[in-house]
Amino acid sequence: MKVLKQLLKNPTSLAGILLLLGFMFIGLFAPLIAPPPPRSRDPYMIPRDGFATEPQPPSEEHRFGTTEGQYDIFYGVIWGTRTAFRIGIVITLFTVIIGLTIGSISAFYGGWTDETLMRFTEIFQAFPFLLAAITLTAVLQTLYGRSTSGPIMIIAKGMAFLTFGQPPSEPVDPIQLQILTGMLAIIIFGWMTYARVIRGNILSVKEFEYALAARTVGASNFRILTKHLMPNAVFPVLVLASMDIGAYVLTFAALSFLGLGAQRGYADWGQMISFARNWIPNLSDFWYIVVYPGVAIVLFVLAWNLVGDALRDIMDPRLRGKIT
Amino acid sequence: MLNYTIRRLLIIPFILIGVTMLIFVMLSLLTPYERAALYIQDIPKRQGAMELIIQKYGLDDPIPVQYWRWMVGSKDPDSGEIKGGVLRGDLGWSKVGKSSVIEVIGRRLPATAELALWAAIPMIGIGIWLGVVSAVNHNKPTDQILRVFSIVGWSIPTFVFGLLVLMIFYAELGWFPPGRLSEWALREVLSADFTRYTQMNTIDALLNLRIDIFFDACRHLVLPVLTLAYLNWAYMLRVTRSSMLDTVNQDYITTARSKGLAENNIIRKHALPNALIPVITVSALIMIGLLNGVVITETVFNWPGMGSYLAESALSLDVISVLGITLFSAFILVMGNLIADLLYGVIDPRIRLQ
Repeated sequence: MKVLKQLLKNPTSLAGILLLLGFMFIGLFAPLIAPPPPRSRDPYMIPRDGFATEPQPPSEEHRFGTTEGQYDIFYGVIWGTRTAFRIGIVITLFTVIIGLTIGSISAFYGGWTDETLMRFTEIFQAFPFLLAAITLTAVLQTLYGRSTSGPIMIIAKGMAFLTFGQPPSEPVDPIQLQILTGMLAIIIFGWMTYARVIRGNILSVKEFEYALAARTVGASNFRILTKHLMPNAVFPVLVLASMDIGAYVLTFAALSFLGLGAQRGYADWGQMISFARNWIPNLSDFWYIVVYPGVAIVLFVLAWNLVGDALRDIMDPRLRGKIT
Repeated sequence: MLNYTIRRLLIIPFILIGVTMLIFVMLSLLTPYERAALYIQDIPKRQGAMELIIQKYGLDDPIPVQYWRWMVGSKDPDSGEIKGGVLRGDLGWSKVGKSSVIEVIGRRLPATAELALWAAIPMIGIGIWLGVVSAVNHNKPTDQILRVFSIVGWSIPTFVFGLLVLMIFYAELGWFPPGRLSEWALREVLSADFTRYTQMNTIDALLNLRIDIFFDACRHLVLPVLTLAYLNWAYMLRVTRSSMLDTVNQDYITTARSKGLAENNIIRKHALPNALIPVITVSALIMIGLLNGVVITETVFNWPGMGSYLAESALSLDVISVLGITLFSAFILVMGNLIADLLYGVIDPRIRLQ
């Protein structure tokens, strides 16, 4: 509560919070702001107006114009808000859970467990992130293309349920599967910072007297870890990690831009901008295919960063870098 | 110190093995047929062609066997000659680059290095300057404006920024084209009277005394350099600012002030050198990142460096290239981190490495 009050007092973080509320509003009321056409099968597929290649400038009918292939940009920007929230929240959730598990086990048990887990973490960190993520996405896409069962499908079903609210009893939509592969790749190669920070924090609180006190009264390892160490060492990391939602949306957009991630025509900002790669010499005529979805991403990420920056000043451990 | 260095060096091979093994594990998720399909461009016309490929490359062998073969090479049954093998310095054939992986890296690395070197100058120089200005004006309007500027930079996706500058400076104004050289300059560079000493066009042009080619190379460098610099200023500013603020609050700075030294002098001579210590490490880490290829920037600006090679080979699952790049990048990353850590200890005697 004290933190929230501080956030609301600071003009920059207040701006961030207002922006976020604005995006939530757009996301919630997307069906009213940009109603899907009556016969659409999936509201997340952007409606097309014909199949002409060349983008069309903003007009009465298409407020932000259309991209290559006549996908309506306004519709995509509005529904893309929902995609951004979903992708960002689910990726953050999973990376934090994996990082939390590995970091806390490593710190608490120490010795060989710690050594092994930290070397393991180092191997993941030594990967060029995009290379690993792209390769894994490409492999997963082949895999999901053929198999309909097995552990990999169970993961996909779980994620589809969390991300899209798809009931696990039904088969996963191939369009959603493609998005899930990108998300999985980011998760699998994204948890390391959290693991290291949490490990470091637990190591430092472990030395405090209250942990020793708990041990002397005979508390079990698990109890000390969950009841005493976690709340003190982990809560700040979790709060800061929640602000990484913006960063993950940025990463996913990069994958989409490279042609992985969301499918052509899906309401995803990165995917919409990727069309611009085909029109670079004429971009000054077709500015709207970059500017509208671009502004949406920048504002969305900016909102999280504004709040995150203020939070970091309030709480302050050192966290993560960015992809260039 | 020596112990620490040796221990870190000993770990490196294990990390490299781990990293490449992980790629093999990823690929083992695919069936031999799917992997064979990655080797061929068209649908095979003859029956049994797939089986031949699988047999030839041993794609249905267990993954550890395949990994071993990639590491030490395999014996050709006809000539008895040992072929390939990373340990023997052969990274294999790149499908994307249409030559051996080592050759492709040799061709692409200078392009990336040129970009990284030119980007480092404004990135580090201006980044530090902005950080100092921000810290000196702590909590004043200048500081606030700079912070917003840096958070905005932090929030712009690389490709959006890249496309926007291309839109303005290339499509609209026609000043700075994408790519690495104009066609006429490329022809000159590849011709016999032009010696390619370093493969970095700007430097080679100067060494060949060709000012026109130098300017052409610079024209192509402006936009990607600007993109990389702007996106990293945020980070540099942040690190310099917080380190500077820490230093300014130290007792010895108060002492300097109470001696009546000019504020300007205190900042430049007393505070800055100490405040720059963490900045050096961060700059080193950013440079390593740049050398490993700036995937998105190179893709947007059509820059034929390591980053676009990485993207192309990973997208088309060119396994051998992916392995080669992984090995190369991981090595640079681990070595770079080690050097940065050691440097840190050398510059700052307070830090004792164990």
